[in-house]
Amino acid sequence: MSAREEILGKIGSHDAVKHPGAFQGASSDFDFKASLEVVGARVVSPEELEVLFPGRRRYDKTMDGLSLADVEVLEIDGEFGVAENGAIWLTEEAMPHRVAPFICQHLVINVSEIVPTMHAAYERLGGVNSGFGLFLAGPSKTADIEQSLVIGAHGARSLTVVIRS
Amino acid sequence: MLSHAEASEKFIADAERTDWHDETLWFVRAKRDKASKVLPEWEALREHASQIKDHTLANLGSYLQAFEAKAQANGIKVHWAKDAAEHNAIVHGIIAAQGSQLLVKSKSMLTEECHLNDYLAKNGIEVVDTDLGERIVQFRKEAPSHIVLPAIHLKKEDVGETFYQHLGTPKGNKDPQFLTEAARQHLRGHFLASEVAITGVNFAVAETGEFVVCTNEGNADMGAHLAKVHIACMGIEKIIPKRADLAVFLRLLARSATGQLITTYSSHFHKPREGQEMHIVLLDNGRTRQLADPKYKNSLKCIRCAACFNTCPVYRRSGGHSYHQPVAGPIGSILAPNIDKKANADLPFASTLCGSCSNVCPVKINIHEQLWFWRQDLMAAGLAPVSKFIGMKLMAFVLTHPLIYRMGGAVMRRFSRLLNTRLNPWYKQREMPIAPKASFQDWYQKR
Repeated sequence: MSAREEILGKIGSHDAVKHPGAFQGASSDFDFKASLEVVGARVVSPEELEVLFPGRRRYDKTMDGLSLADVEVLEIDGEFGVAENGAIWLTEEAMPHRVAPFICQHLVINVSEIVPTMHAAYERLGGVNSGFGLFLAGPSKTADIEQSLVIGAHGARSLTVVIRS
Repeated sequence: MLSHAEASEKFIADAERTDWHDETLWFVRAKRDKASKVLPEWEALREHASQIKDHTLANLGSYLQAFEAKAQANGIKVHWAKDAAEHNAIVHGIIAAQGSQLLVKSKSMLTEECHLNDYLAKNGIEVVDTDLGERIVQFRKEAPSHIVLPAIHLKKEDVGETFYQHLGTPKGNKDPQFLTEAARQHLRGHFLASEVAITGVNFAVAETGEFVVCTNEGNADMGAHLAKVHIACMGIEKIIPKRADLAVFLRLLARSATGQLITTYSSHFHKPREGQEMHIVLLDNGRTRQLADPKYKNSLKCIRCAACFNTCPVYRRSGGHSYHQPVAGPIGSILAPNIDKKANADLPFASTLCGSCSNVCPVKINIHEQLWFWRQDLMAAGLAPVSKFIGMKLMAFVLTHPLIYRMGGAVMRRFSRLLNTRLNPWYKQREMPIAPKASFQDWYQKR
């Protein structure tokens, strides 16, 4: 008997328990900008961005993630932001390569749509439309040494968000 | 192997460090309180998450099959392993087919449970753990002492010394910023060079066949997106039914774990990227046994946030290594006896049964009750320490024989110093009170 059959056999059947359905009663009074600051991102205007990263550029699609190893500043578009936690939904279609937002030194994301909570976020997403997507909230961080927060563990050292209307 | 009590005795020998450990974890617990109280719906979210997990466990077989079918349709290869040995052999087979000798791995308690690193090392394959805390303990040939904060038992001086030895950082440098940067540079080389990446799995969605991996450092993604082969290892209990359920769990996970609003990266792997091989290994290793026992089934709802560690008065003052298991703390103490009752018979006793673990659990596992159930099972199976067994029998005998109880009481009051010896473990760190001359009964009868 294969491991699969053995495991499924051992699981057997259990008394029915209903799925509770969609979560109701989520709060909705969240401030996206305030959440972004909590997660360590910087929110700037389009004009400020020009001053901060004049040399930034977008990169073409590539099959070779390693070719992005020296990217200093990467600019990409987020699909939408989540007000409750400052997370931004990104899909691989909007980036040069899946590794791009991680391997670059500094990341700039444009956002023009905001939903209040994660519940609203998944409702907005509906089914899966991408081979890879992620919620990204702030720059890479760690507190593994004595709980001291250090920004820039393995991924981007900074996240700059431009909210465009 | 030392028992929890014996290992704890060594841990608390350094009083200053014990206090630091205690206070640091309590600080994390306080952050969790703050992050959860911001949401008026917090308790409703916990209840909702608990119900989703109850529903999932009741339909685990069909959800696993649905997940498998969707994942396969998405181009992911799905493997089933009934125990650690099968799991390790499957992972080794995939790596060997690729012909790799070096691989990067992000945090996965499941691979710790299977001792995958040791197994691969014996087969000539070097595993580089890429989570900063895990890399630190890997250098030191230690196990993680906490599932979310693997190096929380160490001080920055210790990390500085470890990096001096292994990475050549300047001796005496203990600045977390500097040391993290050194690890970033060191590990970036491995990310760029590795053809195989192993990650854990936080959630796997039956509805879509995708799986979600959460990190703050970005190490899982750096590994997985650069490697030709991505192997994701998960326990069969990580399944959730729907994509929308992720909203509930992602809101609870980071807030419970570290008091963050969400982890920095919540990556949804749905299909391999073009030219990449993606594998999922589904592991049982005793989980179906746990599922079949109504008393312990609930423990499979765990989402590994470690809130129960941070709140536990025993964990905070005894350290993760005292639990001699990859998953320590209260949840580890109810998971471990299922895998090996005899070897882990001490763990359910490493608790005050205060119930704080159950109060903070985001999926409402009755942890403290299960600790108590395990104590009963272990006593019945004759696996509790002999001294405890005899002590309990003696106590039961005395308490059911009033005359002996009164005589015994009189003797002990007279010679209470008999209790204040090294033979009594309770006396080791405590000043025992001097017994009053008269018993309560004597006093009451005189009134």
